[in-house]
Amino acid sequence: MIFITGPLLAGKQSYICGALGLSLEEFSRRAVWDVQELAAGEPDLPALADALAKREIVIATEVGGGVVPTDPAERAARESAGRLSCLLAERADTVVRVCCGLPQVLKGRLPC
Amino acid sequence: MFTLVTGGAASGKSEYAESLVMRLPGRRIYLATMRPADPESLARINRHRLLRQGRGFDTLERYTDLAGAEIPAESNILLECMSNLAANELYDSEGGGAESILRGAGALLARCAHLTVVTNDVFSGGAAYGGDTLRYLRELARINRALAERADTVIEVVCGLPNVLKGGNPL
Repeated sequence: MIFITGPLLAGKQSYICGALGLSLEEFSRRAVWDVQELAAGEPDLPALADALAKREIVIATEVGGGVVPTDPAERAARESAGRLSCLLAERADTVVRVCCGLPQVLKGRLPC
Repeated sequence: MFTLVTGGAASGKSEYAESLVMRLPGRRIYLATMRPADPESLARINRHRLLRQGRGFDTLERYTDLAGAEIPAESNILLECMSNLAANELYDSEGGGAESILRGAGALLARCAHLTVVTNDVFSGGAAYGGDTLRYLRELARINRALAERADTVIEVVCGLPNVLKGGNPL
């Protein structure tokens, strides 16, 4: 599994489509994205990570870089999103962080 | 040559970018994009002026339309900050949007010896945005990606230290 992370609107999807030569249709079939949204309220994050790790490409947006939210639900959601990303990175063969459209391989190497 | 420097608030990106430009031979121009609108922006501008004091920069203020800036040929430009310029171009009545910025960057590159642009990472603090904020983020992200694609070197500054995203480590 290839795990792609990075800030909001950094070009994560464009990057992986370009790197693997995927059409939008192929991308939709082979990838799952915005998985940080699945973490909120999920009681079993390792199980969610296991399920997601069966996909070929998993994309999450980094959301932990701001001030701690005052709203408890937002706080918990942000916490879960960060934990999920760590669990996904553990399970991934390759981890790439995309910033300003530029990739940095944090783990493994891209299969291309 | 074109260097793009990004980083979060107070990450040391300005000092780092200045130190890069200080190493270049020739005239140094500081292209300031923050409009002095209130006491807070004035204080911020003064802090940066003090940081640059004695470093041989000529300051040129430019709030919109980079292409119209009168830049001496073969000078070294330090443009700060793209997040301000983007806000000016998007919200000022005379602003020309992202296209004006990308066109302007091209015009600067054609004229100067070295362009260094400081931009801002405001994209890691969550994804729950809408309305005008989301519109601003989309435009700034598009500008950042286009500039990164065009740049020879892209550096993310973390705690004052460079993380090279593209090109070699210039220091």
